[in-house]
Amino acid sequence: MRTWNRRQRTLCLLLLTAVILLAVTVSGALLTDRATETDFAHTNLAPSLDRLFGTDWLGRDMLARTLAGLSLSIRIGALTACVSAVIALALGVAAALNRRADAVLSWLIDLFLGIPHILLVMLISLACGRGFLGVVAGVSLSHWPSLARLVREEVLQLRQAPYLLAAEKLGVPRGQLVRRHLLPHLLPQFLTGLILQFPHAILHEASVTFLGFGLSSEQPAIGVILSESMQYLTTGRWWLALFPGAALVGVVLLFAGLGEQVRRLLDPSSVHQ
Amino acid sequence: MKGKYLVSIFLAAALAAGALTGCGGPSAAGASAAEGPAQGADTVVIAMDPNSEPAAGFDPAFGWGAGEHVHEPLIQSTLTVTNTDLTIGYDLATDYAVSGDGLTWTVHIREDAVFTDGESLTAADVAFTYNTVKSSSSVNDFTMLDVAEAADDTTVVFHMTRPFSIWPYTMAIVGIVPEHAYDPATYGANPIGSGRYELVQWDRGQQVILEANPDYYGEAPEIQRVVILFMEEDAAFLAAQAGQVDVAYTSATYSDQTIDGYTLAAYDSVDNRGFNLPAVPAGTDSRGRAVGNDFTADVRVRRAINIGIDRQEMIDHVLNGHGSPAYSVCDNLPWYNPASEVSYDPEGAAALLDEAGWLLGDDGYRYKDGIRAELDLLYSTGDSVRQALCADFAGQLEELGIACTLEGVGWDTAYDQALSQPLIWGWGAHTPMELYNLYHTIGDTGSAQYSPYANPAVDRYMDQALASTDLEASYELWQLAQWDGTTGVTQEGDIPWVWLVNVDHLYWVRDGLRIAEQKIHPHGHGWSIVNNVDRWSWELPAENP
Repeated sequence: MRTWNRRQRTLCLLLLTAVILLAVTVSGALLTDRATETDFAHTNLAPSLDRLFGTDWLGRDMLARTLAGLSLSIRIGALTACVSAVIALALGVAAALNRRADAVLSWLIDLFLGIPHILLVMLISLACGRGFLGVVAGVSLSHWPSLARLVREEVLQLRQAPYLLAAEKLGVPRGQLVRRHLLPHLLPQFLTGLILQFPHAILHEASVTFLGFGLSSEQPAIGVILSESMQYLTTGRWWLALFPGAALVGVVLLFAGLGEQVRRLLDPSSVHQ
Repeated sequence: MKGKYLVSIFLAAALAAGALTGCGGPSAAGASAAEGPAQGADTVVIAMDPNSEPAAGFDPAFGWGAGEHVHEPLIQSTLTVTNTDLTIGYDLATDYAVSGDGLTWTVHIREDAVFTDGESLTAADVAFTYNTVKSSSSVNDFTMLDVAEAADDTTVVFHMTRPFSIWPYTMAIVGIVPEHAYDPATYGANPIGSGRYELVQWDRGQQVILEANPDYYGEAPEIQRVVILFMEEDAAFLAAQAGQVDVAYTSATYSDQTIDGYTLAAYDSVDNRGFNLPAVPAGTDSRGRAVGNDFTADVRVRRAINIGIDRQEMIDHVLNGHGSPAYSVCDNLPWYNPASEVSYDPEGAAALLDEAGWLLGDDGYRYKDGIRAELDLLYSTGDSVRQALCADFAGQLEELGIACTLEGVGWDTAYDQALSQPLIWGWGAHTPMELYNLYHTIGDTGSAQYSPYANPAVDRYMDQALASTDLEASYELWQLAQWDGTTGVTQEGDIPWVWLVNVDHLYWVRDGLRIAEQKIHPHGHGWSIVNNVDRWSWELPAENP
C-alpha cells in the first residue's frame, strides 16, 4: 500500500478544509431566506432530530441561522481580508522603496497597533454608519498594519539581495523590478498572511456585531445570534448560544488550519518535506 | 486578542446555561424564596430596569416623574393626582378653577404641607417650581405656561399663553421643589420634598433607598422603607429565584417560568405598540428627507391592514397571552373613543386591497400596474418584543399578499425613516396630549410630527378640546377627534396609525405582598408600579402557628 508523504497529506487536508468551508459558505448563502423565516407555532424548541439546533423565540430554525450567519461571516471575512491584505501589500512595498513613505507608514502602523483593535473597529464602523459598509470598512481598515509591517521588512531584506542589486545596476526600471523580482518573492508570505487574516476578520466582525456596532439585527449574522441568545440563557435555552458559538469557533479553527497548510506548501523551507 | 474575548463570553454563557439546565429550576432557589420579605415586614425590595434610574437625579426640572415615562414623584408632592380611573384628584391642591378664556388657572393649596427640612410649603414654592421647569425642562413642553405667581401663601395663579384645558394632567406630574433650597446642580442628588418618602441613599447604577417621611401631611405610608435595585432582566429573574427581592420586573420571555414563593402579576397598561402608516404619497420635504409612501398613501390599504391583523394571535404568540388588543393610542382612558375597535376580517381586508387595485399575482403577492405591494417594516434594535411583533405583523401581511422586509434601526435615524416607512412605536400616557402629538399638524409644516398626516377636522376638535374650560366636557371633544361619525383616525376614517397590542406589565411578586390597585400603567415598565407603594402591605402567616 502506498504511503503519502507529508506534502501530499497537507494538500489533501487543505482540500478537505477548503471544501468544508466552501460548503458552509454556499449552503449558508442558500439558506438565508430560511434563516429569517419566522414560525410562531414552533418557538423555543430544544434541539431534536427534526431541528438539529432547535429554534429561537421567533421560531426561526437555528441550524439555518447558524449556517447563514457563518456564511455571511465568511463572505465578509473574505472581502475584508482581501481588502486589508491588498492595502498591506501596497503600503508595505511603497514603504520599502521610498524613505519618506517609510517614515509616514511606520508612524501609521505604530498608531494603528497602539489603539485597541476592537475599539478601532467600533469607531470606524460607527463613523461609516454601521451595517454592512461599517463592518467591512472597520475590519479592513484596521487589519492591515501587522501584515504591512511584515511585507515592509521582507522587502527591505530583499533589496539587499545580490540579484536585486544586480538588476538595479543593470538599469531595470523600478516598476519592472517590483513586478518581476519583488512580488513573486513576497507571494508565500502574502498568501499565508491573507488566509490568516480570515479568522481575525471573522471574529472581529462577530464581536463588533455582538456589541451592537456592526450588522443590523435583522440580518442572520453570528454576532447577532450570539447577542440575542444572551437574553435567553437564564431561562435555560442553552442551544441558542452553544451551537452557533461552537460552529464559529470551528470555522475559525478551520481557517487557522488552512493558513498553516498553505504556509507549509508554499514556504521554501518546508516545501520539500 | 479580541477573538478570545468573544470566545470567553461564549464559553461563560455555555457554562451558565449548562449549570441552569443541569440543576433544574425550582429546587435550587425554592428554599430561600419562601422565607418571607427580603428585608423585613416594613420594607419592600423592588428590582427595576436600569433605564428607570433617573440619570439627572430626582429633579422634576430634569425629567423626574415628568419625563418620557410619567409617574408620581413620591419624594415631592404634586398639585393634583390622577385617580385609578385616570380622572383628576387632589394632592396639594384643595381646588382649582380656570377663567372663561382659559388663560388663567387659579389653584388653592393646603396649608399643612411641610418640606422635609422643616420649612412649610407655600404658593411661592409652587410658582417657583413651575417657572423653573418652564425655563429649564428639557423633556417636557411648558410653552403653554406664561408665568406662575403666588397671589398669597395658599393661592397660585398660572397665566397661560394659550388655552390648555388638560393643565390638571400636567399638574399631576410636576413635583414641587423648595424655593429656599433649590440648586439645579445639587438638587437631583439631594432632593428635598414634601412627599410620602424621602431619599436616604442613592448608589448610582445600583440602588435607591426611600424612607417614609414622618412629617407627611397625608395618611402615613404602611411601607416604611422602599429599596429599588436596578438590574437587567435576567439578573432580576435570578434575584427573584434567590429570594433577594420582593418584586422583580419581567417580560413575556420569562412568563412561562415559575419561581417558588412568587406569583407572576400582570398589570393592564396602555403601553401600546403600533405602526405608523405614512398617509401621503412618496416625496421629499424641505430638508431633503424622504416623506410619504405610495402604498400606504391609499386609505383603503391602511384600512385593509387594520382589519387584516389578528391581534389576539399576536398576543398569544409574542406576548404569551400577556397583553390586550390595542385599537388606539389611549385604550380605556377617559378620552378613548370605543368606535376605534375593529374585528379581525381577512376577507374584508382582501376585498379592500382588490378595490384599491392591488390584485393577487401568481406568486401570492399583490401587484398594481406591475408594482409589487411592499413594505419595509422598521423596529428599534435591541427590543426583542418589538422585533417579534414586527415579525408577526410581517407574517400576517404576507398572508394578505404584501411583501415585507424587516429592518432594525437605531433611534438616531428611526424618526426620519419613519416618515416614509412604518416603524413600530410604543406610546401610552396619562394625558390626552398624546393624541395631539400623534395626529395634530405641527406648526406650519401642515403635517403631523411623527408620520405624515393631516386632517383639518381632527385638528379642529383637538384645538376645541384644549380651548375648553371644562375638563370633563373636553373628553368628548378628544373622542370626536378620533371619530365623529364621518371623519377621524379610526377604521372608517383615515387610520394613519394601526395599533396592535397593549403590553401587560409583568412582575414577579413575593407571596404575601399585597400590591395596591394599580392605575392603567403608561408606557415605560418602570416607576409606575410604585405609584402607590405607600399603600402596599404584607400579609404574613403568624410566626408560631
